[in-house]
Amino acid sequence: MSNEVNYGSIIKNGIFGENPVFRLALSLCPAVAVTSGVKNGFLMGVAVFFVMIMVNATVSLLRKFINPKVRIPSYMFIIATWVTVTDLVMAAYARDVYKQMGLYIMLIVAFAIVLSRAEMFASKNKLLPAIVDGAAMGMGFLLALVLLGIFRELLGKGSLWGYQILGSKPLLIMILPTGGFFAMGLMMGWLNWIDRKFFGGTGGGGGAH
Amino acid sequence: MYEELSNVLIQILSQALSIFTHKLIPLVGVGGSVETLEKVPWEYVVFGLVVLAALGVVFGVALAIVAARFVVKTDPKVDLVRDVLPGANCGACGFAGCMGYAENVVANPEVAVNLCAPGKAAVAEKIAEITGKKAEKVDPKIARVFCQGGASLSQRKFIYTGVQDCAAAVLAAGGDKSCEYGCLGYATCMRACPFDAITMSADNLPIINADKCTACGKCVSACPKQVIELALMSKAVVISCHSRDKGGDTKKKCQVGCIACGICVRTCPVDAIKVENNIARIDHAKCIVCGLCVKKCPTSAIHDYHTARPKAIIDPAKCAGIDACAKVCPMNAISGELGTAHRVDQSKCIGCGMCAARCPKKAIDMVESVNAGSSHAASEKVGETVGV
Amino acid sequence: MWEHVLTIFIASALINNFVFSRYLGLCIFFGVTKKMETSIGMSFTFTAVMLIGAALNWVIYEYVMIPFHLGFLKIVIFIGVVAAFVQAADTIMKKVTPALYYKLGIYLALIVTNCIILAVPLINAEEHYSLFESMALALGSGLGFSLALIIMASIREKLELADVPKSFQGLPISFVLTGLIALAFLGFSGMITL
Repeated sequence: MSNEVNYGSIIKNGIFGENPVFRLALSLCPAVAVTSGVKNGFLMGVAVFFVMIMVNATVSLLRKFINPKVRIPSYMFIIATWVTVTDLVMAAYARDVYKQMGLYIMLIVAFAIVLSRAEMFASKNKLLPAIVDGAAMGMGFLLALVLLGIFRELLGKGSLWGYQILGSKPLLIMILPTGGFFAMGLMMGWLNWIDRKFFGGTGGGGGAH
Repeated sequence: MYEELSNVLIQILSQALSIFTHKLIPLVGVGGSVETLEKVPWEYVVFGLVVLAALGVVFGVALAIVAARFVVKTDPKVDLVRDVLPGANCGACGFAGCMGYAENVVANPEVAVNLCAPGKAAVAEKIAEITGKKAEKVDPKIARVFCQGGASLSQRKFIYTGVQDCAAAVLAAGGDKSCEYGCLGYATCMRACPFDAITMSADNLPIINADKCTACGKCVSACPKQVIELALMSKAVVISCHSRDKGGDTKKKCQVGCIACGICVRTCPVDAIKVENNIARIDHAKCIVCGLCVKKCPTSAIHDYHTARPKAIIDPAKCAGIDACAKVCPMNAISGELGTAHRVDQSKCIGCGMCAARCPKKAIDMVESVNAGSSHAASEKVGETVGV
Repeated sequence: MWEHVLTIFIASALINNFVFSRYLGLCIFFGVTKKMETSIGMSFTFTAVMLIGAALNWVIYEYVMIPFHLGFLKIVIFIGVVAAFVQAADTIMKKVTPALYYKLGIYLALIVTNCIILAVPLINAEEHYSLFESMALALGSGLGFSLALIIMASIREKLELADVPKSFQGLPISFVLTGLIALAFLGFSGMITL
């Protein structure tokens, strides 16, 4: 590995190239669940952002001390610890939002994206690149959630972050679980289309999973 | 009127939403269950550490015991064999993937080493080396298409404009071909072949590339009409039809279908053909691939897959003039006096091989003719050697 | 008491279906439903692991965590228990029933990161369910998930033949399909007045 770590490319990779939600299609469970409102989506994104940074930092610091044979259980232990911390902090300081999505915060521990980033990147790199990568992935996740949240809340309730913008509720169904799936599918399809048309990518076309 | 309709719709959706948010969501989001405390409860921290350590020890010991007691000894030969196999996981060997075959061939003394169809003889030899078994000679197989009725030679019942796939077309009243046993031509087999051995001809029939085909059997299971079968590559004469319709019906539906007239049965010198259920079939165990039936079939339903038939050439040095060959030649292509070297008329010889099988002196060779069209040149050559 | 158990069972299987109403277990859902045989294999494995995992976790929660006030360690301990159990099951199956292992063993590794395997013990802990109620929730979630998998697999197999626009092929169109099925499942909401 070269000594020159290209931070710019790490950041771009996290947000666009390998956006966890739309590109890698990992950790979809919460993306559809919590985005019934922008506020919920934003707070979930912040929680994931925090967890990813801390987990990557911890794994990077401890990478020389963890025996490769037990690395997966160790990573899961580290992730579970940080998720518990986030969970309790949120329960204390954002009680009303937490009541609606407490379960999904706790399920951050089952995210494939956190575990795979820890294994693929943080365990092989120094502290600062690992933190930047965690931040970039977390930021990608946050942006994806906020985008979905805006789409769903604007169409479903006519409001943004609780502030009423439109007079009526155009498509009430967007707030229900059905709307969540529709929004996710449509967003992925549109982003694939944009990727194909303007960036010459190869999004879509036969099963990303 | 539209206003009322939209009002009703909005009402229904709002009710659904209220049920959802007031009754269901509280079951979705479960938060907390931890009470807030005044100061850090150090005894809980100690409990936590002790319990976690204890659980870790218990799990670790349990897993270690399980791993030790339930150990599965893997023979290193299995990995060696697995590396030698092509890894396509096609299942032609009859086992579950390449790993399945590797394990069975090492563990079970009765499993043959030459079952890997894509691997052919080279892989069979390597497996024989590793396992210490003997490699028997592999008789390669190939997929054969039992239908010659392309778009120009057969009738269609209706015009089909659905999904261009045989599996989909067969859902529409059994496909658009008049003959219900024939190939529909929408290339499902071509897409199923993992080795790219199938291409579609201009007449919408599959053509199997003999070099690429490994007889893995994927096209056989992909074809919804079961038109493709696996057969030995050496038996190159095939009756390319599955039609069980009566002769008259078959003739109406397809120009090259088998009408079960029985001419081939009478022609065959070794009685290898039988007619059953309005279809003739060759018994490949008896067939000597002489090719006589190909010429006699009135609807040209029998196909000879030889690119060029071999020709019989008599070695005058070995020939003792016994004349046995001339008696068995169905085309009367051998001439010669008793006691003198005989010769084969190359323009009449169809390469059936009966003379070569009959000659007690083994004086006749079946030679693959390089240029199939110029039998004249070959006969001139024979004339030269005889004239010595 | 049995009424409550039955209510929980039906609610978790149909009304609050874990896939269509609670959006859990989606990664595996989309990955496995491309073919019918993998879906069926996954449903069996999942229900089996769910039942045993939920039982183990309930025992540890009731008899170890509550007496020692270790509620805050839920996540760590539940995941640890499931991971250890799946590892043991993997080793034992390989030796005792190798045929079953070759068919279903690959799914075991996937299940550990399945959201539902963690969600069910968490819900059991929150609501302080008794053993029977926990088992009802586990069984209901297993059946609901199996139902979701089979429905989706049968549609997706036919989807192969359809003419989907290039940008939508694969995951996007599957999401839209799931939305339609979720809409149908919404019809169950009036079944039990909670």
